[in-house]
Amino acid sequence: MMDATVRTGRPPRLPVLAHGIAATVLVGLYVTLFLEAESQSAVLGLLAVGAAAAVVAARSGVGTRVIEVLEHHPVAMGLLAAVLVLMETWLFAERHFVLLMITTYLLYVTVGLGLTIQFGYAGTLNFAGASFYGVGSYTAAVLTAVPGFPPLLAIPAGGLVAAVCGSLLVAPVLRTRGHYAAVVSIAFALLFKTFLEVNEVLGGPQGLLVGSLSVAGYDFAAPLRPWPGTEWSFYVHHVLAALLLALFAYAVARRIEHSWLGLAMDAVRMDEIAAACFGVGIERTKVVAFVWGNMLIGMAGALYATMVGFIAPNNFTFADSLIFLSILLLGGLGSRPGLLVAAAVVVFLPEKLQLIQEYRFLLFSALVLVMLMFRPEGLVPRPPRGYPGGGGGP
Amino acid sequence: MVDAALLAQHAVNALMLGIMYALVAVGFTLFFGVLDVIKFSHGDVLTVGAFTGLTVWLALVAVDLATPWLAVALLVLVPALATALLGALIGRFVVLPLKGAPPLNVLLATLMCGTILREAIRLFYPGGANPKPFPALLPTTAYQLGNLNLRLDSVLLFLTGVAIVVALHLVINRTRLGLAIRAVAQDAEIARVMGIDHVRTVLITFAIGSALAAVAGIMHGLYYNEINFSMGLLLGVIGFSSAVVGGLGNVYGAILGGFLFAFLQTLGAMAMPFASAYRDVFAFAVVIAIMAVRPTGLIAERGVERA
Amino acid sequence: MIAPLLDVRGLTVRFGGVVALDGLELDVRPREILGLIGPNGSGKTTCFNVITGLLRPDAGRVIFAGDDITGSTPQEIYRRGIARTFQRSRLYLELSVFDNVALGNGKRLDAGFLTTLLRRRRLARQFAATLAETRALLDVFAPALIDRLWEPVARLPMIDRRRIEICRALVGRPRLLLLDEPSAGMTEEEMRELMDDLLVVRERYGNLAIVLIEHEMGVIERVTDRCVVLNYGRKIAEGDYRSVARDPEVRSAYLGTDA
Repeated sequence: MMDATVRTGRPPRLPVLAHGIAATVLVGLYVTLFLEAESQSAVLGLLAVGAAAAVVAARSGVGTRVIEVLEHHPVAMGLLAAVLVLMETWLFAERHFVLLMITTYLLYVTVGLGLTIQFGYAGTLNFAGASFYGVGSYTAAVLTAVPGFPPLLAIPAGGLVAAVCGSLLVAPVLRTRGHYAAVVSIAFALLFKTFLEVNEVLGGPQGLLVGSLSVAGYDFAAPLRPWPGTEWSFYVHHVLAALLLALFAYAVARRIEHSWLGLAMDAVRMDEIAAACFGVGIERTKVVAFVWGNMLIGMAGALYATMVGFIAPNNFTFADSLIFLSILLLGGLGSRPGLLVAAAVVVFLPEKLQLIQEYRFLLFSALVLVMLMFRPEGLVPRPPRGYPGGGGGP
Repeated sequence: MVDAALLAQHAVNALMLGIMYALVAVGFTLFFGVLDVIKFSHGDVLTVGAFTGLTVWLALVAVDLATPWLAVALLVLVPALATALLGALIGRFVVLPLKGAPPLNVLLATLMCGTILREAIRLFYPGGANPKPFPALLPTTAYQLGNLNLRLDSVLLFLTGVAIVVALHLVINRTRLGLAIRAVAQDAEIARVMGIDHVRTVLITFAIGSALAAVAGIMHGLYYNEINFSMGLLLGVIGFSSAVVGGLGNVYGAILGGFLFAFLQTLGAMAMPFASAYRDVFAFAVVIAIMAVRPTGLIAERGVERA
Repeated sequence: MIAPLLDVRGLTVRFGGVVALDGLELDVRPREILGLIGPNGSGKTTCFNVITGLLRPDAGRVIFAGDDITGSTPQEIYRRGIARTFQRSRLYLELSVFDNVALGNGKRLDAGFLTTLLRRRRLARQFAATLAETRALLDVFAPALIDRLWEPVARLPMIDRRRIEICRALVGRPRLLLLDEPSAGMTEEEMRELMDDLLVVRERYGNLAIVLIEHEMGVIERVTDRCVVLNYGRKIAEGDYRSVARDPEVRSAYLGTDA
């Protein structure tokens, strides 16, 4: 056979990793400058530079190379990404606000990956992302208040409760076409927030205090003293925790996509009839996607709650759910690389550009609308599926 | 023993809610009928209608022309025309261009349109982030029928709603326009061959559906004397659920669905009077339950896929 | 008389007031190629949809390899060894050639959640095996596509899509293959080639029976062992092509509706 002409192996390691390292360094530099930028004109200038660089990367094929590396060398790139986040954390170790932004970014990436599994892969539209995030948060609030409960367990517990809620809610409608599940999730989003507001056990509109995380008596809410005379923000702990969670979520999403299960999800999303004729269990596939998506979303929510220490119904509105979905649609549905970019746009942009802060819901909806009309594949279209052992992929 | 007067009061309330839900649901079902799309900006178009009405009222007050009957007439007409135009614009520039796209993309795009409208009201309408008082323009004379306290404004609102539904029925069944709408809904391809202007029919349908939403929004305002920027989201979800219950594409099913929904919701309020704060929670729980139990609608949805 | 591989008894399907299948009797013997012909709307595709479990019949039984499969889900029927193509291609246009073909091999692939997350070696082995089978099939049906295995199907011409759809149906080694108008959009020459390829695969797989819905009578005449003619959901003739072509009822059915 014509093995030589068919690409089934990985691209050669060295030049490929060189691309990865170069990309990481450049991104790191850019992010540092961006986070440092104070004046609005500096932010706008950096945005222009970033946009231009993105266009050049896309046109010259460099972008494709970077995506190739990302898809074919997940472990190396995961380590590089971790180093990047750690570098930024170290650079901004004393600045609460910057670290909060970085953590928020990582949590949004986690949520986005959960939604990607649900909607990007299996095609089940979830308009209640913020609500399941909220389920995780409230679970953490309740559990950390229980004396003797190990706080760290609140994170997986948040994911578990969100997953159970989601499967109870949506399992009955998964048999039917997409828009029914969509409406059920909208109804749940509205129900959830109204419920929290009128319910007194969970604090009503005033919300609840959440206990902090701790490991063996080491409190995540206390400032970090790496060596005498230096005091780092307590958010450093949360950046680390969120980083681990995001890497875990990324690995889960990637492994799902690069598998027969991922193929089945795509098949179910695009044509249920053909999928059924080739043995794909439609409901099972959707339920697996929905449950695991919510698991990730709920874990992110629980971590968020323990970080901010105080949650209220207003943190989990329908508008927030739409923001989560916007990330997917901007980045490119089902595209993990796109998600990483779009989450950065959605999280960092309103925080750094005060003039759009107030208008962010309006702005992002308009942006998504334009995207759906003119570039439905998103900023970074989803790369082709790779398979374990190195087959396929971009 | 349930108090008979209270029971009657609940019944009146359910009828009022029912007619509003029905008007919204009819819009969803019309859009789905002619184009097989879910136009999710519908609820927010309703909000735009309600706020247009409020603006008309404020303008009338400003020029000292605020006599109740003129106000009521303008308060219905102007918003209806405005939303008809808005609905047709959304149809023309968002829904029709997405014709070849996956159905969920249309749902998402129109939802984003709705969010833009909702946010625009919140941000740019003076004080739009807070609930706004809506004038009580209709005579509130109360009639005592046995021990039922019936207010004239409720009766008028309800009769208006019914009149509109009847008018819609006549338009759909007795006019050339109605024939065109039915033809497009039946089979767009054959309608085209018969010489029916597809785009025009679709846009007129969108205009009609959206005008009905404005009427529902104004009714909601006149009945509760308060409107807010997110009212359309709630009414949109309920209206859509009603349309689904009645079988998407079926106008009478949608009307039936609207009333059914209102009665279920009222029943919930009666069963749990201690939990009046949970009214909306119960409404959405009903939506979810209905979707779970009856996903294909009371009257089977047409166009169910055959391989 | 050999026991039939597929035995369809008294199959009746109604859509509202329309009777799509009216007590249809049909049998398919092991290794035979059966032509299913009839005017448009005579119930051929409906028959496929019932056999593959997409439609529930109002009456009648479908028996496959001795087991009653009436009312089984499409998934179960696929696992028992019936695979099909669709009249209007149902390939996944955004997915690659390999993805599309691999989907047809689902019964031998592990889509379990724990395997997906933790047992990557197992997946890699299944991938290698499926890749080899895909190549072997493409080598017969469309050798040029072996080089384009990772391209989205959307980029390929219709004729290649038809071939991929057949590979997808074959990769799971079915015992019965249902082909719904494979010649649509093909020249006679291309169709002849396709049928020759199918015969090659049938030899290789040993016991494959094929039911072919087809309008091109030239194709039917050349490749089928036997024909069944439907009209208004009923069998009006059965036998080898020559005998059914002479049948007066068949002639009037075609002349009455098509000519």
